[in-house]
Amino acid sequence: MKKRPLEGVRVADLTMMWAGPYATKLLAEMGADVIKIESPRAWDNIRTLLPQPGVADPWNSAFYFNEYNRDKRSLVLDLADSRGRDAFLRVAARCDVVIENYRADVLDRLEIGYDVLRSARPDIILVSMAAFGKSGADRDFVGFGPVIELMSGLASLSGYAGEDEPFKTGISYGDPVAGAYAASAVALALLKRHRTGKGAYIDLAQREAAAGMAGEAFVAASLRGEQPVHRGNRTDRWAPQGVYRCAGDEQWIVVAVVTDQEWLACCDVLGRADLASLDLAERQARHAELDDVIAAWARDRDPQDAMETLQDAGVPAGRVLDSGEIHEDPQLIRRRFWVYLPNPKMIRYKQAGVSWRLVECNPTLARHSPVFGEHTREVLAGVGGLSDEEIDALYAAGVTSDAPVNPEVG
Amino acid sequence: VSEEETPLEGVRVVELGGGIPAAFAAHQLAGFGADVVRIEGEGEGPPLTEDENVYLLAGKRRVDDGGLDVRRLVLAADILVEDGHPGALASRGLAPADLRSHKPSLVIVSMTPFGQTGPYRNYKATNIVSFAMGGIMSLTGAFDRQPLVSGGSQAQYLGGLHGFAAAVTAHLGAVLNGEGDWIDISLQECAAGMLELYAPSTAIGGPVLPRMGNHTRAEWGIYPSLDGWVGLFALQRQVRNLFEAVGDPELTDGPFVDSLYRLEHPEELAAKLYQFTLSHTCDELMDIARERKVPIGVALTPTDLLASSSLAERGLWDEVETPQGIATVPGRPYPGLGWQPPRRLHRPGEDTAAVVDEWLGGQR
Repeated sequence: MKKRPLEGVRVADLTMMWAGPYATKLLAEMGADVIKIESPRAWDNIRTLLPQPGVADPWNSAFYFNEYNRDKRSLVLDLADSRGRDAFLRVAARCDVVIENYRADVLDRLEIGYDVLRSARPDIILVSMAAFGKSGADRDFVGFGPVIELMSGLASLSGYAGEDEPFKTGISYGDPVAGAYAASAVALALLKRHRTGKGAYIDLAQREAAAGMAGEAFVAASLRGEQPVHRGNRTDRWAPQGVYRCAGDEQWIVVAVVTDQEWLACCDVLGRADLASLDLAERQARHAELDDVIAAWARDRDPQDAMETLQDAGVPAGRVLDSGEIHEDPQLIRRRFWVYLPNPKMIRYKQAGVSWRLVECNPTLARHSPVFGEHTREVLAGVGGLSDEEIDALYAAGVTSDAPVNPEVG
Repeated sequence: VSEEETPLEGVRVVELGGGIPAAFAAHQLAGFGADVVRIEGEGEGPPLTEDENVYLLAGKRRVDDGGLDVRRLVLAADILVEDGHPGALASRGLAPADLRSHKPSLVIVSMTPFGQTGPYRNYKATNIVSFAMGGIMSLTGAFDRQPLVSGGSQAQYLGGLHGFAAAVTAHLGAVLNGEGDWIDISLQECAAGMLELYAPSTAIGGPVLPRMGNHTRAEWGIYPSLDGWVGLFALQRQVRNLFEAVGDPELTDGPFVDSLYRLEHPEELAAKLYQFTLSHTCDELMDIARERKVPIGVALTPTDLLASSSLAERGLWDEVETPQGIATVPGRPYPGLGWQPPRRLHRPGEDTAAVVDEWLGGQR
């Protein structure tokens, strides 16, 4: 069987919530041995968000956590305790990469900053992903996804036409963006290490990663002083484009007519040959009227049928798939995007599959998210080289534990 | 400007297709030091805008495909990034399996709206179609209004971002193990794989959660300030800090400390938070954020960011020469690795002769 690109790479994963775990999810899917490290006192609070109802250990049974932490191992260590810190450094010395998304000051306070890590392993790669980075005047701001979206300029680009209010995306958008970038940093740093023998310290700022997702807006601002214009669901590039209600509860389709040929096809579907000769300028000038025509056509139609009818005619269109319908989408089902990966703590449910489809090595998910502390002994012994006695002492001192000591904080 | 050697020094990349996904993925590869050759010809989709050209194409070498043996050029590369429709590569004599058998270390990254397989593979999509089909749009926008597409071209950038990250990861695999791969990136799947808790909560039988606009909860939302917009986003454990920052004793000592009470009285709480934000400027609110360590953010525009001393100090910006002047754009996505800032936008076809010379020994 063909090797996945990151097989043999070991990652000490101090990340929590979503941005960092999204990064290490990608690394795990590519074959890395990801060791997720939490403290009995400071653990990933996502562990208790959306748990399986009625379980005694919700921190081992949360669907959201499961989704982004599969194929990782769980090591529990209190890093604020010197014994936990020492054990961590013994593990880290055997890792290629350490990754963290603590608040900017936390890693140094725990005395496991880059210089400390480098003395444990000279060619270590550290990826930090604080909201605003570890330097600069904004470093002390606290932030996650939606704050990032506002402070990166992205939210200023979104809004209903003619209204000033910026809009955030419905998910914590800054998180997976920063996570995907962080995954790229790991591969690039490993390439550098392969060539030079040297490690790297990546000081990723989630805000900066997000800003790069709309570089053209910075061109407009810096060259011409342009401020963002809210266009709702329209664009100034082609017309008509919009979102239209279909039959059913909150069912919508989007339609985006780019070319004259597509408009011709669209008019055929709409039964409005009288409009077929409108060129782009006319379509833009009469956009509201064309919206009404499409809206009237779509109103009583099944959204799936409406999309297929338009697409079959060659018109770009899609359903606004909601979090329920998306699990039934024929395309995602045919591509086996949704998988049922068993988790003994959970009912069977459709989970998102591997993000990057390497066609030949065809990576698949092997195992559900780890239960809290599941691999503590295995990792401390097998990776850190600790003896059974040393590990027992850590348990006895409460430096490690197989359950959070404060499960109520989540 | 980093003096450090770039991590992709000496790596050759061909960019083919020309849309945002391929252009953005290759833009990042160029920044990290790859020699990126963008092959251009008769375009299929709508061309990039002038501003997108400046951001996405600067620093790349631009080659005209007229009379060029594209196959030889691709086989001289380490990475091919492309966003043509499924089958487009094969119809140009560039079938991935064939290319891979001739050059096992080659990495091919294909980015398409729906992927290379499945019933929708030939469906057409623009950014809004991909954003809608990936599920994020249903969650974006106000509760009682139309779903809203996010600004810019987020679905396409997400595809490009994943294409870039997957490309460098697979290239690492090729360097370590000698074998590249063909990566089938679907823009729909990129978005569908980041539906946070919304996807699992429905998959386990929960109700479809409606879009919540700018107010998921009272203490998790965007409010007007005296001179702009501010987001207050407090996790359960941060609510007390937020309430202390607001300074209203009814919040710090009253029933609102209880999360259930907050959920049941969202409008009362929101009214108090409106009162708070509307009595401060954005600058004042950010001072409060810093002092109290509360997750508060203000809505900044690109112009605001360009004036940020923090970002300038961290060296985010690249400057690109254009006929209209110097454009300032976000540069290295993270510091710590060598980055080659793009200097200028090359003209279409400008580099054809040089690339043929260097990559193909002068034979077209």
